[in-house]
Amino acid sequence: MVKTKRKEKLYLSDKQPLSFMGVIMLILSYIVLGLWALAIILPLIDMIVSAFNGRQQQYIMLNSNFEFSLRHFDYLFNETLYFSWVKNTIFIALTTAVLTLIIVSFTGFAYSRYRFKGRKPSLMAIMLIQTIPAFAGITAYYTMHSVISSIAPFFSRQMMLILIYAGGGIASNTFILKGYIDSISTELDDAARMDGCSSMQVYRLIIMPIARPMLAIIALWSFIGPFMDYLLPRVLLTSPESYTLAAGLFTLINDFRTLNQPAFAAGGLLTAVPIVALFIVLQKQLVSGLSQGSVKG
Amino acid sequence: MNVVLNNIGKKYEGREAFTLKNINLEIDDKDFCVILGPSGCGKTTLLRMIAGLNSITEGDLLFDNKRMNKVPSKDRDIAMVFQSYALYPHMTVYDNMAFSLSMRKERKNIIHDRVMEAAELLQIKEYLYSKPSDISGGQRQRVALGRAMVRKPSVFLMDEPLSNLDAKLREHMRVELVRLHKALGTTSIYVTHDQTEAMTMATKIVLMNDGKIQQAGKPDEFYNRPANIFVAKFIGSPTMNIIDGQMVKGKFVANHGLITITPSKQDAKSLEAFEGKPVSVGIRPERFESGGEFGDTFSATIEVVEMLGKEKILYAKLENGSEIIISTPGHYKYAVDEEHNFGFDVEAIHFFDTETGLRIN
Repeated sequence: MVKTKRKEKLYLSDKQPLSFMGVIMLILSYIVLGLWALAIILPLIDMIVSAFNGRQQQYIMLNSNFEFSLRHFDYLFNETLYFSWVKNTIFIALTTAVLTLIIVSFTGFAYSRYRFKGRKPSLMAIMLIQTIPAFAGITAYYTMHSVISSIAPFFSRQMMLILIYAGGGIASNTFILKGYIDSISTELDDAARMDGCSSMQVYRLIIMPIARPMLAIIALWSFIGPFMDYLLPRVLLTSPESYTLAAGLFTLINDFRTLNQPAFAAGGLLTAVPIVALFIVLQKQLVSGLSQGSVKG
Repeated sequence: MNVVLNNIGKKYEGREAFTLKNINLEIDDKDFCVILGPSGCGKTTLLRMIAGLNSITEGDLLFDNKRMNKVPSKDRDIAMVFQSYALYPHMTVYDNMAFSLSMRKERKNIIHDRVMEAAELLQIKEYLYSKPSDISGGQRQRVALGRAMVRKPSVFLMDEPLSNLDAKLREHMRVELVRLHKALGTTSIYVTHDQTEAMTMATKIVLMNDGKIQQAGKPDEFYNRPANIFVAKFIGSPTMNIIDGQMVKGKFVANHGLITITPSKQDAKSLEAFEGKPVSVGIRPERFESGGEFGDTFSATIEVVEMLGKEKILYAKLENGSEIIISTPGHYKYAVDEEHNFGFDVEAIHFFDTETGLRIN
């Protein structure tokens, strides 16, 4: 026997109970949100399914024929330069992230903590320069690269690409980090200095650990950037061996000779792996709120 | 260690005027010196200059006769407690306290002993391994003190350390700080805008206003012999009554003519030079009497009565509307709208030169 006990329902929400119109609006907004989610999720599902579907040929057909196979991955690994693209991308992404982090650390800290001549104008300049897309300077990049590489032959086009990514990242991220460090009490700096820290130590031992959530986000974004960008590598890199993932995979859908859409889907799926891996590594750092309790609470 | 400030001045970059000028001060060994002043008077700047966080524009800062102007703060043998405590949020309480010693490359076991010693004294042993965010405000305050203590500095600097605590805890920490100072015997310099803190804790008070020292001395001197009108009004709560008037035939007559005061013999002597000149009289709310030695009384109507328990504070109005604040023992019966006669305790009248604000008697 199940005892049914009528419990009086307690209204626990802090909000006013919904009116009839409120309920309708709520349902409507859920419908909109649901459709929106579908629009994002459906193509992704389609991509995943196609990547594993052995029935798919050169073109992806939307039908219900399905046969599990790793055929497309096999094609991707053996018939294309997929691994060197991955290697290139990770190299570029990692170097960009590290370079951005190091330089942004310095600039963000300096702009936040030091007063110097030209501080305001240079901040303004950084902000204004950001409005110009990186691609606009493509001819200049070419010239710069040929000038530098004629002096230093080891300066490859990939390095040029890294410099462009890092340069762009430094500008915007300096702002973000400066804002974050501004919110950290300068009394912490004073305390650290009295405890015997040099300026570098103040940053390394005190500010950096507190700003870690922001640094993690900056690292993540600068890492993801090269995975997403197609235009610059496509224009700047000339041989397929030096392509990044985005540029390389694109050859699988835009060139009739190498066309293989399911392999493109498979490659796209695998692209997510390094990013997800980094995300998991940084997850702890991304949890913010570390600076709570440093000062009065 | 004794601290001497010699003609110290400070001008900030990009400012026209000097924030501080001609500051002369001597703080003896084992003194508990409180720098008091309204906000914006330059007291924190002064403390930060002693700490080495702000540069000294002119003058000399001497620690035991050694010039410290250009010595970096970490080498000055000082420790500071900040208003916001400035605990490092990513370190445990223990690491916070050990940080300065480990920066000095002290041996591990020495650091441990010192931290434990301080933790014992401040009773913070239970949460040595918590993060600052997990402990309460009062506990953080102790940790901040402990962090300064483990260094065993020769000078303790404190920048309004109690201003973030609630009233009860503040009272408690006040006593605790005095006890701590007694136990450690370290020269302490304490900045606050709260006159109660200054009066209760200090062995020496320095009252500042407008970038100048108004008076420096012992707490009771401040209360009983304020050097000028500003000091007189700043110290004491409720505020001292100040009445403007002039000397007529050896007597003080208020501008509105409703109050006449005959000064005591001693005061009369120093007031001789002010015959016919504007003079201000200051009298503390608790120094009114019913009669007074020379029978100078005035009548006032009580407008508001503030009952504080041990005392009653009467906000009374003279005939012309000017206000007088009178404090009486709590068990005296006064009611609103009553008219009463009040006299003065002649011994407790402060005379000031109205033009300069300086004390006369």
